[in-house]
Amino acid sequence: MITALALHAKGFGIPTTVKELREYLQAALEVEHLTLPVYMTGLYSIRPGTNRTAHFAIRSVLMEEMLHMTLAANLLNAVGGTPRVGRKEFVAEYPARLPFSSPQLPAIGLQHFSPAALKTFLLIERPRKMAPNPKPGEGWTSIGQFYDSIRQGLEHLVAQHGAAAIFTGRPERQVGPEDFYNSGGEVFAVHDLKSAQLAIRVISDQGEGTDGTIWDSDDLIFGEARQLAHYFRFNEIYTGRSYGPHDTPDAPPSGPLLDVTWDDAYPIHGDSKVADYKKYEQTSAVYGHAVAFNTRYAALLSYLQSAFDGWPRAMALAVPTMLELRDRSEQLYRNPHPDPTLAAEGLFASPTFEVEQPQFEAVRDTVDENLRLAGLEAGEPIDLSLTS
Amino acid sequence: MTETISAEGAARRRYDAIIVGAGWAGSALAKRLGAQGWHVLVLEAGNGGTETWPGYLDSLSTYYAAVAKVPNSAYRRNKAAPYPDVLDLAPVRDPEPGRPEFTANGYFVQNGRLPYGTDYLRELGGAAMHWLGAVPRMLPDDFATGTVYGYGRDWPFTAEELQPWYAEAERELGVAGNAEEQKDLGVVTDSAYQYPMHHIPQSYLDERCRTLDGTTVNDSVADEDYALKMYGLPQARNSTPNPAYPAPYRIQGAVGIPNYGERCVGNASCVPICPVQAKSHPLRLQAAWPGTVTLATRCVVTRVRKGRDAYVSGVEYRTYTDPASPVSRSYVAEADVVILAAHAIENARLLLFSELATGSGQVGRNLMDHPTILNWALTPEAKGPIGPFRGPGHTSGWEVFRSGFGRSERAPFRIEIGNWGWGWATGAPLSNVATALGLGGTPDGSVRDKGVYGPELRRLLGSSIGRQLQLQIAVEQSADENNRVTIDPARYRDAMGNPRPILTYDLDEHVRKGLYAARLVARQIFGFLEATDYTDHAPRDGVPPLGHFVHSGTHLAYSGAGHGAGTHIMGDDETTSVVDRDQRTHDHPNLYAVGCGSMPSVGTSNPTLTMMALALRSAAEIHKDLTAARRPARLRTPQHEEVPA
Repeated sequence: MITALALHAKGFGIPTTVKELREYLQAALEVEHLTLPVYMTGLYSIRPGTNRTAHFAIRSVLMEEMLHMTLAANLLNAVGGTPRVGRKEFVAEYPARLPFSSPQLPAIGLQHFSPAALKTFLLIERPRKMAPNPKPGEGWTSIGQFYDSIRQGLEHLVAQHGAAAIFTGRPERQVGPEDFYNSGGEVFAVHDLKSAQLAIRVISDQGEGTDGTIWDSDDLIFGEARQLAHYFRFNEIYTGRSYGPHDTPDAPPSGPLLDVTWDDAYPIHGDSKVADYKKYEQTSAVYGHAVAFNTRYAALLSYLQSAFDGWPRAMALAVPTMLELRDRSEQLYRNPHPDPTLAAEGLFASPTFEVEQPQFEAVRDTVDENLRLAGLEAGEPIDLSLTS
Repeated sequence: MTETISAEGAARRRYDAIIVGAGWAGSALAKRLGAQGWHVLVLEAGNGGTETWPGYLDSLSTYYAAVAKVPNSAYRRNKAAPYPDVLDLAPVRDPEPGRPEFTANGYFVQNGRLPYGTDYLRELGGAAMHWLGAVPRMLPDDFATGTVYGYGRDWPFTAEELQPWYAEAERELGVAGNAEEQKDLGVVTDSAYQYPMHHIPQSYLDERCRTLDGTTVNDSVADEDYALKMYGLPQARNSTPNPAYPAPYRIQGAVGIPNYGERCVGNASCVPICPVQAKSHPLRLQAAWPGTVTLATRCVVTRVRKGRDAYVSGVEYRTYTDPASPVSRSYVAEADVVILAAHAIENARLLLFSELATGSGQVGRNLMDHPTILNWALTPEAKGPIGPFRGPGHTSGWEVFRSGFGRSERAPFRIEIGNWGWGWATGAPLSNVATALGLGGTPDGSVRDKGVYGPELRRLLGSSIGRQLQLQIAVEQSADENNRVTIDPARYRDAMGNPRPILTYDLDEHVRKGLYAARLVARQIFGFLEATDYTDHAPRDGVPPLGHFVHSGTHLAYSGAGHGAGTHIMGDDETTSVVDRDQRTHDHPNLYAVGCGSMPSVGTSNPTLTMMALALRSAAEIHKDLTAARRPARLRTPQHEEVPA
């Protein structure tokens, strides 16, 4: 989160050099990633089999945030940058400040599926039009506004220096649809202004809606089914009511009621840290599993580092690791909090998403070995049978 | 989104084409004809609902809750549109010699010597809602077994003629495969051909079996030696898009929800249902139907209507509102072309009840399947587990017994290397758990001794389940007029009043020899793998297994493969076949019967791919028919001879 927080502190601005543009895109990667642990916690703390509508809605947003992260990496690679995701500086500490938003917003914490969690989700996805307009010299107000300044900066730079001087990245560093799939929209290679603008549009539209509507543009861009933008998908769950076909962003949903059972979730103490669990190491296995979770999360980011750093096929190792993290999350949520006081309040254990240097070091050998064993070459079939 | 209308709505207007059945063939035909601007009505007998996401989740839950995980276990029973189930058959204890060793309850009436052990599904998407997704092409010599090997029927055209349609079908189905292997096998003749997606990785146990490549197996029945060589299986399952595929292939996700549908991750429940919709199914094609296609579900077609001359004018159908009740109302819909795409047995039933296409006397005859013999063994403990119950049903096979002159002696067979342990043969792994726990009673009715628990249970299951190897061997059954579907409306009707299919089925000597040879080959293969053969098809306590027969003093048994075919067989001669090479009935120029029913032979390939290739080929012909019928009539007699355009 280092880059994003530094940019945020500088206040609203538009990148004017390629170096600045790369910084902005690195910050974009960090912001997209910031949402993943928050949504993962909301999603996996739902009791399995319950709250199906909410489950699939949050899952779809989570998938699309991963798509956004990948598109941001493609953008950064396209302009000759190097994404940096496999290191501790990339990861936020929760509760985390949301960069590029109003400083009045509360910090974003890890919360179980609940009205409070959904309220946080809504804050993250709040469309530009619903946030106050930024005044020159003042701070950021929305993530959409941040992406818009990237777009403007990119367009100015291309107008000034020509596309060839800006899009200097090697094409083989781009992650394509053969490497990553399964969400609304599709990942595609970024190699010129047009594809860069499209990538930014996909990210913005899926989050906050197209042209002031509640809908994203997956139908227009990808020929897929039209669906609600993230903010409105979350608002359906929050309000317990679905949107009708003619609803507008400024009005609450008017469609049929949705079944949301807030009690069908594992309540957690989201600020729990591994250090808290360690105190109860003798009485609860939660500590060991929470440590293992963080290590595996470091593995995920390490695979992504390879995928974004010239070896897109490494995405094939990141995907199963993500599924492993889902299973590990669900196991943790099913255990009472190791602290007897918190357990007595009915709270459950939770992954802490503390990923520091030791975690990265712990997985480095395994990650390298698996990348070698998988022998993933671009254009070739994927076979992970030799990996562990 | 598929647009559906009510039965009343469907009856109100006239269509260019009516398609009976929304399975693979019907869905593909509707997509093609609709895209060419023809107004198409698709009538589906099934209840519908699985095309929605809650409906799909309901099918998944139904499967999870089912006690017997048979192919139809994900779908609810339907009194109005009943369908056969593999659980309909029961063995007869201590059967009298010469009498059938089975009884058939349920939808089929069976009066043959042997049971027809194949099911299907009358539901939106058809039997493809429970298919495995195996899509091998047929071998070139499969199209001319009569001429080359002296048994069965020849096709009216060659494999070469079907190649472009195979390629089209593989695009519509979404096939993942290794083109180089299939070229080596001789089924893909275009040297530049690529599949839309990369092949699904071979399973761990496949790799263990691959060590036998080059090993010689003696087939004593054909008196020939065969060198084993393992080939991967082309599958209609999402994997990685192949950049070498000429037109960019876009992976099709789940139907009914915008953000779902994964690549195959080996959930191992392809039959009946893939939890992540990586397995392809016809609902995908339906989601791509243009607005010119109209679907009406819960519409059971009862008869095709005769029009003037030899033409048909449309169909009669009955609609129901409650699948649990037989109450229904009747309607008529009319069209220029009627296409039956309702499954081989259902197509035959409809033609028989409508008294159409009777010229050759072949309707309902030549019923085929792939009788499948199961072989099961435990691999040696010293070599460790082989990792069954992961991945699709099978990912590799031994193909060498499918062709060659051994076919003259015995039916050819394809050895599928099963990935699901002894699941099909013994109901593993649940049966292993039950045995270990000591569940169930002893044969004399007393309570069993206490089973094992805890670490001992874990060890036992780990050891017994982890080494299960099953070879399921599908044998070609050739066309035999005596294997047939008939009806007897006076005696056998379903709850709605439609005649039930009466099946007369047996295996001829050529097929029986094929099954026997397959059993002997499997035994040798187990030997090479140092696996202990547990295969046992002998009667136990007087109860024979289903499909039991004795050949050369050996107890054998076969299962149905779900590959019903050959009831309206294709040919150029109208006196010996029901449909022509375009699947148009010889007797009625605007009545088509499409599907596996048209196939003169099934070779040793799962038939869906070939059926789809035929359907797409027919779609082009039907388009020509419809276009020709709309050319303006000539109003004046020409003054001089015109050269036709």
